[in-house]
Amino acid sequence: MAVCIAVIAKENYPLYIRSVPTQGELKFHYTVHTSLDVVEEKISGVGKALADQRELYLGLLYPTEDYKVYGYMTNSKVKFVIVVDSSNTSLRDNEIRSMFRKLHNSFTDVMCNPFYNPGDPIQSKAFDSIVSTMMVQAF
Amino acid sequence: MSVPDYMQCAEDHQTVVVVVQPMGIVPEEQFFRIYKRIASVSQVSIRDSQRVLFIRFRHHYPPENNEWGDFQTHRKVVGLISVTSCNTAKEWPQTSDRFHGQKEVFGSTLYDSRLLVFGLQGEVAEQQRTDVAFYPSYDDCPDVEKRVEDFVESIFIVLESKRLDRATDKSGDKIQMLCVPFEKKDFVGLDTDSRHYKKRCQGRMRKHVGDLCLQAGMLQDALVHYHMAVELLRSVNDFLWLGAALEGLCSASVIFHYPGGTAGKSGARKPSVSSAADAGKRHRPGAQEVLIDPGALTSSGISADTSAEIGRAKNCLSQEDIIEKYKEAISYYGKYKSAGVIELEACIKAVRVLAIQKRAMEASEFLQNAVYINLGQLSEEEKIQRYSVLSELYELIGFQRKSAFFKRVAAMQCVAPTIPEPGWKACYKLLLETLPGYSLSLDPKDFSKGTHRGWAAVQLRLLHELVYASRRMGNPGLSVRHLSFLLQTMLDFLSDQEKKEVTQSLENYTSKCPGGMEVISLPDGLKLPPVPFTKLPILNAFHSLCIYTVCCFSLMCVCVCVADFQWVQGDVCEVQLMVYNPMPFELRVENMGLLTSGVDFESLPAALSLPAESGLYPVTLVGVPRTAGNITINGYHTSVFGVSSDCLLEGLVGVKSSGCMVEVVPSLPRLQLCTSLPRSAHLSSEDLSTSVSLQLFNGETQQLTITLENIGTETLNTLELTSKTLSTKEKLFGEFLTWDLQDALSHLPLKSGQSVSIPVNISAKLDFSGQESLLNDLNDDGISVTGLPVSSPLRQVLKPRTENKPVGSDASKNEFNHVKTLEAVLTFKYSGGAGQVEGYYRELSLGVRVDVEPSVFFTRVSTLPATSTRQCHLLLDVFNSTEHELTLSAKNNQDLVLHASECQRYTHTHTHSHRLLLHWRDVTPSVQLIEVCRLSDGIT
Repeated sequence: MAVCIAVIAKENYPLYIRSVPTQGELKFHYTVHTSLDVVEEKISGVGKALADQRELYLGLLYPTEDYKVYGYMTNSKVKFVIVVDSSNTSLRDNEIRSMFRKLHNSFTDVMCNPFYNPGDPIQSKAFDSIVSTMMVQAF
Repeated sequence: MSVPDYMQCAEDHQTVVVVVQPMGIVPEEQFFRIYKRIASVSQVSIRDSQRVLFIRFRHHYPPENNEWGDFQTHRKVVGLISVTSCNTAKEWPQTSDRFHGQKEVFGSTLYDSRLLVFGLQGEVAEQQRTDVAFYPSYDDCPDVEKRVEDFVESIFIVLESKRLDRATDKSGDKIQMLCVPFEKKDFVGLDTDSRHYKKRCQGRMRKHVGDLCLQAGMLQDALVHYHMAVELLRSVNDFLWLGAALEGLCSASVIFHYPGGTAGKSGARKPSVSSAADAGKRHRPGAQEVLIDPGALTSSGISADTSAEIGRAKNCLSQEDIIEKYKEAISYYGKYKSAGVIELEACIKAVRVLAIQKRAMEASEFLQNAVYINLGQLSEEEKIQRYSVLSELYELIGFQRKSAFFKRVAAMQCVAPTIPEPGWKACYKLLLETLPGYSLSLDPKDFSKGTHRGWAAVQLRLLHELVYASRRMGNPGLSVRHLSFLLQTMLDFLSDQEKKEVTQSLENYTSKCPGGMEVISLPDGLKLPPVPFTKLPILNAFHSLCIYTVCCFSLMCVCVCVADFQWVQGDVCEVQLMVYNPMPFELRVENMGLLTSGVDFESLPAALSLPAESGLYPVTLVGVPRTAGNITINGYHTSVFGVSSDCLLEGLVGVKSSGCMVEVVPSLPRLQLCTSLPRSAHLSSEDLSTSVSLQLFNGETQQLTITLENIGTETLNTLELTSKTLSTKEKLFGEFLTWDLQDALSHLPLKSGQSVSIPVNISAKLDFSGQESLLNDLNDDGISVTGLPVSSPLRQVLKPRTENKPVGSDASKNEFNHVKTLEAVLTFKYSGGAGQVEGYYRELSLGVRVDVEPSVFFTRVSTLPATSTRQCHLLLDVFNSTEHELTLSAKNNQDLVLHASECQRYTHTHTHSHRLLLHWRDVTPSVQLIEVCRLSDGIT
């Protein structure tokens, strides 16, 4: 399961970021922030060839010593980043994909809320609980 | 080998290292001047050949790196130039000895050396020696470059001879086993006659020859040798050297593909003869060239003919292959812990190549690998260098955020707790360089428009670090500036607790060094623009900002919108701002005043204290224009937490105007108004300087004395008075307000400090007769009126009303208490002084409000026939509705005294002609007949 889940606006600022409370939150801010470099690089490379059928899932952005960072970008250029523990080898690519899909669905619900202003931080409880199901349970 | 050269790039493989060192005491400045001149000779074209020799000059080179010279010859120090000062001939022998001593350090690898002696003149200096050059002084050495060129040529000759020597070694001879320092002990007791060992020696030697060829400018030969070395070494699993051979292949290919170099701007090379020639051949992709079969050559030793007809382009790796081979080489290096530096450098070289190929993703993988290469115990300085280089490389491939991240790590390393003398300056400088990576600029203007950009959490952290670093650097001014910036731009992202902490530390800093509006220039040229606190407090949208002029302190205040009013020279003017405090605590704003341009303006600053998270709060800023003309209000200045800010309206969010222009007219006199009656609340609809209100009984007249005092400095020359009764439904009889201005005008011109009084009579004569009860009573009695024409129009109108009588009589009880209100405005227009010449005047207005109470009512009117048929008696039932006793007098009749709430019949004899008239105008004229006197006043 994830140790950090982040939603990043088109303009590259965080709409939502949540990490397991046991570890420093700022560390994940840095991890996710630097992963944007890779996201940008990936979409700039893909964008030319397959602008239309671009896959939303960006795959492993980069592995660090402790974590693996996965990325996903919606068509409106909102990015999702999931950080998982490197030691967690049981997670397969497919599961990461399905996590992103769930996240995307829930994010769509947030966007459908007429009281939500696109670009504002996400404060939806429904979204929060979906994220909770995907996070490593703190014990 | 423990010291990596982070600046290395692939084309460095074709260079030779020359160390330039000072010997004895050489002033640093002088040494580096000479060093620069020497280093300018970085490439030398060799006479009689098309080849170029590239030189890397180093003023510092760790001897342990030199020990890896056999592994990769570009690590070998082949030349030494010593720079020394020598003032007397006596010192010369000693100097010469020291030079020999210095040569020993790199002894085994040196091809040649030179000594540059400065300051020595005379006999000794005249000796002609190739290895020593004498110069009278550091300023007088015109042929240093020439000397160095000669020296390089001599190195080339040695290099070329070595190359030829090695390349033509016969397979029959025993080939020397080249090895790296850590391998030496492994070879002890190894069977040197085995085929395996021989192959290893051959492979390594091939690789070495390849290196030499590359250095000597024979790129194609180098490629061939490398290819052969790869085959040989691969067959014997000599991984370290296989890696080196592969890397050599890559380097040679990179040099071929990218004659401009991969080091970026700093290391850009001059286009050389050989690479230009290469480039010419590069454009023949279809050339029929034969690929040499490296395998065919291996068995026959190192005697292969590597002449020019051997394939060029085909031996050279394609751009794709270069990266593949780099990866392979790095994976081989990775097998050896002691080759960490080699691996790291290879990674860096590969990244530089990838950066040129614009393959950022792969480059980032190489860098990621480089991050994890363990070089054992690194000194703090090396760590800083390592992180900085990683940062630079990330920047090179366009990963701004990663680059910023590593730069920040490097900055933190500068001040690591283990360092005895933390380098706060270096830390600060590095932190500043991370700003673009976090999309942060230090100009608050970039943040004033639109939404916040970038990642607030990391930006906040960086700003905190900047504040801390600048404080530790001993530059409180900078800390204040950064902290102000943090507070101004990150306010929305701070928690209440953080807001408190930040402001507290800001106040601490400003107590030592108040913040101002000047631009702070850093030594490296960066300019920190001032940070005005436009959010402390926040000015509400400017369109709601209303500007008042106060011509007469608080007494006369004319509120007009922006452009339709004037200010008067020499008078106090006001601007009202609506502000609110976003902080969770009380905000003390000091020295708040207006920023203006155009006219000399004396701002009178105000200090205010805004409660925590106040709502809109009006603030009045005052000042005095000293000259006439147009004044533009550009903004306001404040001092909050010890930081003074100039907030311009044009920079404010939500404020559309960029200031407003007000005309300042020449000075005018100023009047203060006092009345004999107490002041009251303002009338509802009008903007008035002041108001009075009084109560009058119907028919009563009272005098109001208005005193006008000239409190200005100018002399009053003209005065006009007009009145305006505010629209009322009441029918008013006679003049409501009357006055006589003659007396006052005779006092003009009125000098400063003088005053005039104007009596104004207020008389209230209203019709209270419209009461239905009264008319109904009349109606009932109508029968008794004789000779009344039935066709009277009023009667017809009145008749239907009688049907509603019960309702009407109910209401009638209250109607005696009805108070009617009259309102009027007295307007004084006056002028004088310089302003009068230009046609300006001032207005002063006084609101008058009168509550009129009814005095007497005629409750019943009836007639009785009199003795004469031409006459009748008019009977009026008079009711005193006041609480006072009053006397009623009529013409040629006796007075009638009415007590409070008393009703009496009053008889009057009229002629018939009168009677009719009286009847239909009934009570209204009667009011005029009656002098109402309040008995309490003692007047009858």
